[in-house]
Amino acid sequence: MTAALWVKSNYSFLEGASHPDELVSEAHRLGLSAMALTDRDGVYGIVRAHMKARELGLHLIIGSEVTLFDDSTIILLAESRRGYANLCQLITQGRLRSPKGSSQVRWSEICARAEGLSALWGGGRGLIGREESSVACDRIIDDLRDAFADRLSIAIARHREAGEARRERRLRDRAREYGLPTVAVTEVLYHSPSRRDLQDVLTCVRHGVTLSTAKRRTCSNAEHALLAPFGFERLFVDDPGSIARTKEIAERCQFNLEEIRYRYPAETLPGGVTTEQWLHHLTWKGAEGRYPDGIPDDVRTQVDKELSIIGDLEYDGYFLTMWEIVRYCRESGILCQGRGSAANSAVCYCLGITAIDPVRMGLLFERFLSKERAEPPDIDVDIEHNRREEVIQHVYKKYGRSHAAMVANFIRYRARSAVREVGKVLGIAETTVDRLAKTLSHYHGPAAGSLDIAGLDPESKLHQNLLRLSAEIQDFPRHLSIHPGGFLLGHDPVNELVPIENATMEDRTVIQWDKEDVENLGLFKVDLLGLGALNVVHLSLDLIEEHQGQRFCMATIPHQDEPTYDMIRKGDTVGVFQIESRAQMAMLPRLAPRNYYDLVIEISIVRPGPISGGMVHPYLRRRSGVEEVTYPHPSLKPVLEKTLGIPLFQEQVMQLAIVAADYTPGEADQLRRDMAAWRQAGRIEGHRERLISRMMRKGIAREFAERVFEQIRGFGEYGFPESHAASFALIGYATAWLKCHHPATFLCALLNAQPMGFYSPATLVDDAKRHDVVVRPIDVQRSLWDCSLERVPRSGEGFAVRMGLRYVKGLQETFAQRVVEARPDSGYESIDDLASRARLAESALGRLSEAGALQSLQPERRQALWEAHGTGSGDQASLDLRVCEERAQFGDLTEFESIRWDYESTGHSTRGHPLEALRATLAAQKIPSSVEIHQMPSGRRVRYAGLVICRQRPGTAGGVVFMTLEDETGFVNLIIWERVFATFEIVAKTASFLGVTGKLQSESGVVHLVVEEMWEPDLSKKPETRSRDFH
Amino acid sequence: MDRMACVDLPAFPLQLLIREHPDWKSHPAVVVDHDKPQGVVLWSNDRARQFRILPGMRYATGLSIAGELRAGVISQAVIDSHIESITRALWSLTPGVEPSPEFPGVFWLDAEGLVPLYPSLEEWVTRVRRELETEGFYSNIAVGFTRFGTFAGAKSVRSQKVFARTEDEVSFARSVPIDRLDFAPKLRETLYKLGIRKLGAFLDLPAAGLRRRFGEEAHQLHQLAGGEGWGGLEARAPEVPLVYEVLLDQPEGDSDRLLAHVELHLRSLASLVVKRFELIASVTIDLLLDDGSKRRDELRPAEATLDLAQLLHLVRLRWETVSFPTGVIEIQIEVQSVGGTTRQETLFGTNSGASFDDRPRRDLDAADRALAQVRAQFGDKSVGRVSVEEGHLPEARYDWQPFRKLTDPQPREVAIRPLVRRVHWSPIPLPPRSRHEPDGWMLSKLSDGPVEEVIGPHIVTGGWWVREVSRAYYYVRTRNDRWFWIYHDLVRRRWFVQGEVE
Repeated sequence: MTAALWVKSNYSFLEGASHPDELVSEAHRLGLSAMALTDRDGVYGIVRAHMKARELGLHLIIGSEVTLFDDSTIILLAESRRGYANLCQLITQGRLRSPKGSSQVRWSEICARAEGLSALWGGGRGLIGREESSVACDRIIDDLRDAFADRLSIAIARHREAGEARRERRLRDRAREYGLPTVAVTEVLYHSPSRRDLQDVLTCVRHGVTLSTAKRRTCSNAEHALLAPFGFERLFVDDPGSIARTKEIAERCQFNLEEIRYRYPAETLPGGVTTEQWLHHLTWKGAEGRYPDGIPDDVRTQVDKELSIIGDLEYDGYFLTMWEIVRYCRESGILCQGRGSAANSAVCYCLGITAIDPVRMGLLFERFLSKERAEPPDIDVDIEHNRREEVIQHVYKKYGRSHAAMVANFIRYRARSAVREVGKVLGIAETTVDRLAKTLSHYHGPAAGSLDIAGLDPESKLHQNLLRLSAEIQDFPRHLSIHPGGFLLGHDPVNELVPIENATMEDRTVIQWDKEDVENLGLFKVDLLGLGALNVVHLSLDLIEEHQGQRFCMATIPHQDEPTYDMIRKGDTVGVFQIESRAQMAMLPRLAPRNYYDLVIEISIVRPGPISGGMVHPYLRRRSGVEEVTYPHPSLKPVLEKTLGIPLFQEQVMQLAIVAADYTPGEADQLRRDMAAWRQAGRIEGHRERLISRMMRKGIAREFAERVFEQIRGFGEYGFPESHAASFALIGYATAWLKCHHPATFLCALLNAQPMGFYSPATLVDDAKRHDVVVRPIDVQRSLWDCSLERVPRSGEGFAVRMGLRYVKGLQETFAQRVVEARPDSGYESIDDLASRARLAESALGRLSEAGALQSLQPERRQALWEAHGTGSGDQASLDLRVCEERAQFGDLTEFESIRWDYESTGHSTRGHPLEALRATLAAQKIPSSVEIHQMPSGRRVRYAGLVICRQRPGTAGGVVFMTLEDETGFVNLIIWERVFATFEIVAKTASFLGVTGKLQSESGVVHLVVEEMWEPDLSKKPETRSRDFH
Repeated sequence: MDRMACVDLPAFPLQLLIREHPDWKSHPAVVVDHDKPQGVVLWSNDRARQFRILPGMRYATGLSIAGELRAGVISQAVIDSHIESITRALWSLTPGVEPSPEFPGVFWLDAEGLVPLYPSLEEWVTRVRRELETEGFYSNIAVGFTRFGTFAGAKSVRSQKVFARTEDEVSFARSVPIDRLDFAPKLRETLYKLGIRKLGAFLDLPAAGLRRRFGEEAHQLHQLAGGEGWGGLEARAPEVPLVYEVLLDQPEGDSDRLLAHVELHLRSLASLVVKRFELIASVTIDLLLDDGSKRRDELRPAEATLDLAQLLHLVRLRWETVSFPTGVIEIQIEVQSVGGTTRQETLFGTNSGASFDDRPRRDLDAADRALAQVRAQFGDKSVGRVSVEEGHLPEARYDWQPFRKLTDPQPREVAIRPLVRRVHWSPIPLPPRSRHEPDGWMLSKLSDGPVEEVIGPHIVTGGWWVREVSRAYYYVRTRNDRWFWIYHDLVRRRWFVQGEVE
């Protein structure tokens, strides 16, 4: 039995050609006694390797090939927990001082952190093996020997390469000279020789060369695979002593990741109070605030139960941290709200982390925390997106860079990126490879048919290699990125747990593990996520206070406001968080939400899970009383009662498994995880027989049992948890209320929070105008950088929205701010005056003139543009030649042209809708408006023309494309069958102004036009807009 | 005013792309600025334009609209070479051709005085278009009186137009849309915004205001379009090739007499080269033999020269071992000339005044002359210099590079002379090993004795993407102490000698 002590996985980015678990499985299959994972300057892959090794019972050694300043390397293996901590800290030192993607440590640092580590010096890149390194080695050998004592060995690596014998001779000479033992190794880069081709490709990607130009950058042979003990012994048959040393080292390296004991950071608490006492105090104090009329008994019971579990699991610190972060947000005026499974916790509600009362909502606490699982809870906090960085920096500052780091996210090869990079390495023209890549979905690699579709010869060896290698490289990590908001916090320095390195983003540091690794090791993660809708709410509430003197907060926005629900039921929800999409708007009149919980259902039901699980129509039928509410088994009534016998939420699926199939809460949570990992084929299938047989044992018919399983599988694709929906519904309701009662304010906030949401600013503006909001154009005499409110006594809300200079395309904020700051009280007198006071460049003036922002100074936009050119501040010093210049004559813009200029230069128009000017022409061709369409009876065949504002082809719709067209009166939703889309593909994909012929389908006030033909309207003037396509 | 014509080959790079890939005709196809998904579309064909894939768009964007979009890069070198060949083709129809350096695919032709040769200018234009069509290009042509007028005409007409009067040309030009005239995109865009769509409206803009706003280039364009500032046609006349053809009355098989013919005509060609202030860089001699067979000899002196004796010596060396049994009936001699360097001229003029003792002991020039003779006798590939390459296979570790000039060697000092591996030009196959080798493994001659020591293997595998190579290399010592470097080809299952160790 031998051990492989120098193994690099694909977490040695673009070098190793096998996944860690593949290496572990192969090592186990070959009968190795141990395998060390020694990725380059990192421990990225050790959790995955550890999980597999634990499953198979293989002795996994943790280590790393560490790079030094002289560009040589040394392999370090952790013998103990201390050694592992030293390794992590050493890598952290090297990483933090180096640019992203590289690391360099000093010999002195290695010596200082040698405790608990075994060192293998040599191999291909070891300093000691270099031809002219004897002086350098002499200088450091004493320190190394002192630091490592008998834990320092000379690594003799054999790969049957030319020149290897010479290097080996040198290594053996020096080993003798320094009195060091030798150890036999091979540098393993893949688990099987079949991965050699891929390893060549990865090497080429790393060096940015093609295979034909790679020369000696690639390995000369396929001798870097794991060797069976027999093969290894045969390779070193002449040196049994070095083989014996591998076993000796492997036996000494007993550190296991199971030894990691994680402690959550303890808060500094007032006067001798324990974290537990402090959490109890804050929770009950919070509860008093939440229930001013007295804490209800059921709440008290629930809080007691939760506190007891939290105490038993010693998670008090985690809750206090979340409380602290939320408190910081509140004190800094940053809007935030906890979501996710935390919404199931009464303690979180009392602490102000979440805004949902889980007791009143009947939410399942076990989804959040269970003593049986003893896994850390997952609390996500949504923070208004423009201020999230403040909160992130606060966390760094409070806990320190050594105790807080963000969780990594590995950027992996997906189908398209795989084809692109492999194709480039194979030397295929990039435009050709791109053509193939575009035919692929994001997750499924190319098949033989893909080549035909892309016009590539499937018989060509080159193209066959492209297919084979693109499939192999899929899911390989390519480089390290940063998780959107996940933090790892620790009582002990995090860098003793896992190395920390620099992220690309300034002031961010990141650990070498991703979310899944952190979860697998049972570590605590804090998720701080950005949410644009919270920013909209915040901006709206500030505007209301500033202009109307009323102060609202999320909690004081009136609940159960009837006009708001009326508006929602009509599907009039452009801009409303979570319920503004085409599909949501079509569902709203059918589901007709009447209260907050209906909104929770609305948010959850328009999801791929319920749709592909076939739950939507049965639910709607039961809700409208057409179908009787029944339960397959009386025991399921409590689980499904609130959704009329139809499972709609992820929690219900878990409860179904618990109640109907006697899953333990732990098993149910595993089911949830397997549903979330739906891309990893087979995980959900593992539950099939277990669920069905157990359900049948409880007397549930096989047919229903199978249907339940299908529903569970359907949920795998984006099933939505009730707790998420509950949190989102709160924000959704708040934005709906704002839209209903403060439409101008809401529009102003929404425009200032862009980019976000589903619709373009043009659609938001036109929608607001249809709701009688006065929207005023950009004007250098009045506009600020942001959109603002101007008092209009006679309008609905009393305010008009003045578009901000931020909407002038290409105008730098610096110039815009100068326009605002230099503006005299009496306003600018002329374009010259504006240019000189605000020191505007010619290009800025040009953009302002095109946007119509100079119309108060020069009513004719073409003349303004002519004047703007050559007027920039750069000309001030030169001789003014304009006095003797002939005047140029330009034609006036028509109304239609004005609107088109608005769209081109600002992306919207306050002057009118592009189709307004064409209405008479359209009417003459008997093409109705959106309003007229909505008044027509179902089944009528109509022709319609509008601007395409959205094209979608949902994965759940079986190839059906949905489009939304818009005219000056509203929207028309189209349903286009796959066949029709294929027939009219060019016009369907390219036209921004589209004509369609089809049949109206109207049900419960929801109108769709089922398209039969598509055409380009024959008009002399066609409007130019951009749609939001294929989300 | 003199007559001139402007030829426009619309979307010239795209025409070249379709010539390269005729099967792309039925697909949307574009020329991009570089072979990347983010490459910008420079030209698009009709099929691509149906998808609204237009110049300025990224290739990736185009591809999202039309999944079958083909794309290619047309390099400046390809464009230049086609402009050159088109220019040559047009010389057969006009005495002067001026290719436009700014607008590839635009040519101005001298159309003056052609009417007596052709029934009409219309007929001539038709012939020009037909000639271009045979070359595989579609063209539009306008014949008129001014450079800009004909340019505007060619850019906006379909097929051809002949202006009878200057006024017709001017009035036509004013009506030409500016998007046809290859204005700088930024200027064109601004003019559009100002409502200026035709050349006439552009000309109506105040010149001074235009210069102040859009710069000197726009102003110049304005002037040119207004008919000011155009120079005359700078047409290139066809270059006279330095070729001499000799038709022999009787087949000639004697190389000395053939050499005499060559000398005679080479002397005439050399005098033409002298008139051009150039030197002869190479001489190409094409021979047609009586049996219809052909022979070509290309000779290159060490340096460009006018030394006829040196050139003839090279010819003599080349023909020394050649016989012409059926006799030569036609000789064509062509010389390629280049501008000479001062040093060459000095050397040639003075014939070097240095005394023998002053000359460097290594006379590189003499060596170069000697190597030129070797090349003359054994062909160009007979002289080369080894360059070290980075490769895994022995044959990929070095390459033979041609060179023209010798330089002094600069050897590196080594403490111990390393062993030398003499690598065979191509590996020598060994006979398959027998199952019974009573005398041991005999590699080559019996006198070397059997293999007594084997070191190895080191394994080289690769080339899987083109032609798989898999070799196990060994150093073997035979009984008489010769070291061979051999390998077992694991794909072909054969043994080869790669070289020998000294």
